[in-house]
Amino acid sequence: MPPEMLLLAALDGLAYGSLIFLVAVGLSLIFGVLGIVNVAHGSFYAIGAYVAAAGVLALGAAGLPTWLAFPTLLIAAALVGILVGGLVEIALLRRVYGKEEVLQLIVTFAVFMILEDAQKVVFGVQPYFANAPMNWLGTVEVFGIFYTTYQLILMPLVALAVLVGLRFFLRRTSFGRAIVAVTQDREAATAMGIDAARVYLITFIIGASLAALGGALASATTSLTPGIGAGTLVLSFAVAAIAGLGRIEGAAVAALLIGLGRSAAVYFAPEFDVLIPYLIMMVVLLVRPQGLFSTVQTRKV
Amino acid sequence: MSGVILEADDLHLRFGGVQAANGASLKVAANERIAIIGPNGAGKTTFINLCTGYLKPQSGRVVFNGQDVTRLSPRAITRLGVGRSFQIPQLFLDNTVIDNLLLALSAREGSWSPFTPMLRHPKAEEMWALLDLVGLKETGNRIVRELPEGMRKLIDIAVALALEPKLIFMDEPTSGVSSTEKFQVMDTLTRVLDARATTAVFVEHDMDVVARYANRVAVWAGGRIAHQGTPEEILNHPEVRETVIGVGV
Repeated sequence: MPPEMLLLAALDGLAYGSLIFLVAVGLSLIFGVLGIVNVAHGSFYAIGAYVAAAGVLALGAAGLPTWLAFPTLLIAAALVGILVGGLVEIALLRRVYGKEEVLQLIVTFAVFMILEDAQKVVFGVQPYFANAPMNWLGTVEVFGIFYTTYQLILMPLVALAVLVGLRFFLRRTSFGRAIVAVTQDREAATAMGIDAARVYLITFIIGASLAALGGALASATTSLTPGIGAGTLVLSFAVAAIAGLGRIEGAAVAALLIGLGRSAAVYFAPEFDVLIPYLIMMVVLLVRPQGLFSTVQTRKV
Repeated sequence: MSGVILEADDLHLRFGGVQAANGASLKVAANERIAIIGPNGAGKTTFINLCTGYLKPQSGRVVFNGQDVTRLSPRAITRLGVGRSFQIPQLFLDNTVIDNLLLALSAREGSWSPFTPMLRHPKAEEMWALLDLVGLKETGNRIVRELPEGMRKLIDIAVALALEPKLIFMDEPTSGVSSTEKFQVMDTLTRVLDARATTAVFVEHDMDVVARYANRVAVWAGGRIAHQGTPEEILNHPEVRETVIGVGV
């Protein structure tokens, strides 16, 4: 087994893990605060990717400088999170908080199905490819192997920034502390005058924006076709389950684990490519059913 | 009565078959310390909830500083200057004392920040000063769960005082507090209320506390304030002694 292959697999895994982390941490955050397993999360990823690609292509068509593509990716993610995520929360989810989980699952699944078709109507079924930002950043050489700067440096940096930023936001700032407080004790939060409805809406928008950011970043590296949301959703579920739902640092480790596992499979045992993430999940859940980083706790009612 | 800051006028509220408030009225003058006494389960907390916006009466009105607040939300009433503490302290047990105060302050002021650390809130110094006043400065960085009930009561009251209310409703400030801590809690409380010129209405079961700390006593019976007067008048009132205090003359 040539060592370059091993290195290549590791770098690929890092890039892929970064992407999955962004999606999974959003899913995990939404579950942690709202208690909802959001099946529509994959759609935010897909719509984020399409909107970002459309924005980047429009920039190119207008003859604007390529570096503008980077703010475009961020703006696309925020727009999708605020508009699509906000609409879903306000119009549908707030009606099912505290209801049976089956109902919540059906509602988010219905949103997912609707959004899947809406994407086809808006963006068509032809593949979209907007790799201008990736080409613009060029390549770096690592031990004789050329790798795109976008995947090797930018994507992991964004994931790291999100990890550090989220930790800071949730642990230190008053707004983040309010989100955690509502999760711990909704009654006390209400008694102190914390507006739980607003906390839920903003958490959902942050979670949806993170998924859309994952999609926006991915849009430069791959061609977009209908169905990309579903595949990412399932993987991010695996990550969130391995980490223990609601764990941010855990999601980072689990995403890296899945990313590395999957790319190792792609290089050395391609027939296991699809299977590996679930094998990892199965082994982890057999040993620790609550996930790697979760402590068993009863939720206060 | 001069200097009335809050007036509850003829409040009625029925839940299912229970007439929880039946013509409840009370006038509160500035700087009074009113104790509400009455049998358990008779609706004293309901009365506080009606005055602070947590429940809406079916008829009657609540006027604070000349403004009708009957239909306002608890948040809006708090912002006007009516604080409240709870029988069971409503605190975030896994957070530190100062965090609880700052969260409550941010919630009431709407001064949320997604970027700056909460401990650098512009009013953090004021909150430390408030804790000092309540005698809890040393416990500011401790986790609430580790503290005894008496301290939690004071913290809950400090949370209510964080927004400098003109009037505070306290639901059994000494319940769950050991008899040795009780007077200490009340002494501290009175000192803080005096220092801040805050008017207080509190529900209380302990007649020693009532006699020592209230300057007016209101007896809650049958869904309304049935009697009121000075502690001396009320605690020696034969009917009150029999029905509320539970000892014959």
